[in-house]
Amino acid sequence: MRGPGRLQAESRLWGYLFLLGLLALWEVLARAEMVNTLLFPRVSLILTYLGKLLTAGDILAQVAISLARSLSAYLIAALFAISLGIVMGYYRVVYEVVEPFMEMLRPMPIVALIPVIILFLGLGWQMKVFIIFLACVWPILLNTIDGVRGIDAVLVHTARTLGASPMQLLRYVILPAALPVIVTGLRISVATSLILMVISEMIGGMNGIGFFILNAQRKMRVLDMFAGIIILGGIGYLFNFLFRLASNRLIHWHLGMTRLTRR
Amino acid sequence: MRKLWVYLLRTLLFALCVAAWELGARGNPELTEFFPPLSLIFPTAVQSIAQGELPRHLGSSLATFLKAYALAAFIGLTGGVLLGRWRWLFHLFEPPIELLRPLPTPAMIPIAILIFGIDESMRIAITVYACTWPILLNTIDGVRGAEPVLIHTAHTFGASERQLLLKVILRAASPQMVTGLRISLGIALILVVTSEMIAAVDGIGFYILETARNFEVAEMFGAVLVLALLGYLLNKTFVSLEGRAMAWYYGSKKREAR
Repeated sequence: MRGPGRLQAESRLWGYLFLLGLLALWEVLARAEMVNTLLFPRVSLILTYLGKLLTAGDILAQVAISLARSLSAYLIAALFAISLGIVMGYYRVVYEVVEPFMEMLRPMPIVALIPVIILFLGLGWQMKVFIIFLACVWPILLNTIDGVRGIDAVLVHTARTLGASPMQLLRYVILPAALPVIVTGLRISVATSLILMVISEMIGGMNGIGFFILNAQRKMRVLDMFAGIIILGGIGYLFNFLFRLASNRLIHWHLGMTRLTRR
Repeated sequence: MRKLWVYLLRTLLFALCVAAWELGARGNPELTEFFPPLSLIFPTAVQSIAQGELPRHLGSSLATFLKAYALAAFIGLTGGVLLGRWRWLFHLFEPPIELLRPLPTPAMIPIAILIFGIDESMRIAITVYACTWPILLNTIDGVRGAEPVLIHTAHTFGASERQLLLKVILRAASPQMVTGLRISLGIALILVVTSEMIAAVDGIGFYILETARNFEVAEMFGAVLVLALLGYLLNKTFVSLEGRAMAWYYGSKKREAR
């Protein structure tokens, strides 16, 4: 291993030790009753409780409900935003006409719309899916528009000159050329979908992991609360990981290309 | 000519939306409770502004927002410069950051309630937590991305660490710092409103949820519109300040592109 690489691995090791030290400090402080253990129970207690909760399985049902909501909303948002974004990016007129409306709607904190949407859709899954959908659309839409507008005009003209049909143009030129930018939007929306999943379940929910965590806090079941938060963190981590895997496969040619040009 | 067409189509679309709302609401009087016509929302909104209820809640939210944003900017920028400048410090903090980063922020709200109760300090804490991330991570990136040539040159000319930091690194990192600050602006507003909805007795988020629960729909829509306007103005203000402060940067980029 080269010098800097080893140095980095070494300092990362220190980082993990630091993290372990922090957790150990929590454990010691809780054991010595120097923090309020009603609010912050020992780490070891939380972890064993988490194990019990996971093997009991009830919590997994809550997680499944939440994931079904966020995933379906995310997929619909992706489909909708990419199609709309391609149209808006490709046809200048559409973009120029719709742009001021987007400027008006975009700064609106989506959360403020939750009560409005509860009025129309009630407290069920439709409300949550719609909220998550709304929030996820923006990053994907804006990135798709950017991506399509940024395509080298020569590519499009060449394909047209060579007699590409509109479908071929879309499939072989526009989509691949815009994909790296679109993927950025898709990645941002992964985090957004989880955030809005939790918020919508906290504000208007009767089940799901977000409701589980807030409800545990309200009933002062602190172990449940911390365990729920850890599970949620695990979901966030897993989603990021899966997304990186998928996007690397999807745009591996792009990553390879930028690496080449950088050299 | 083309500009005129775009302008016409835009106006037409806008008028169409407004008319659809107005007529749709007037045509279904049984829905008025959920879906009042625009011509009813505006007078109600004006009334709740004049009576001082909406401004009071809005003021409370704005105060929370400003305190939290300022604190997050301070923590994010200082922390970012420190972590960006000293690699060992970054590696020390990287595992805890990696552990916390993927956790959706709202999950921290219950913990914040446990620590701070349900008063303003909780709302400030959770907003600071959420807003610090983009500022911190962008600042780290910016500081690390400062051209080595710039730093070496400054060193060669005998710049002290203090001069190096103030005159070279901060300046080189400032575009990314500004990006982080801009991203956090929207996040701050969202978290203020969210935390007010989950645990508060004042603030615009509380007001919107409360009016919705009491079926005071016109008041609710009025508050939502005011909030959207606030978000719009905050963003506009930021962008215009950014344009002024970073004019040198955009100018230099334009020259490079030529």
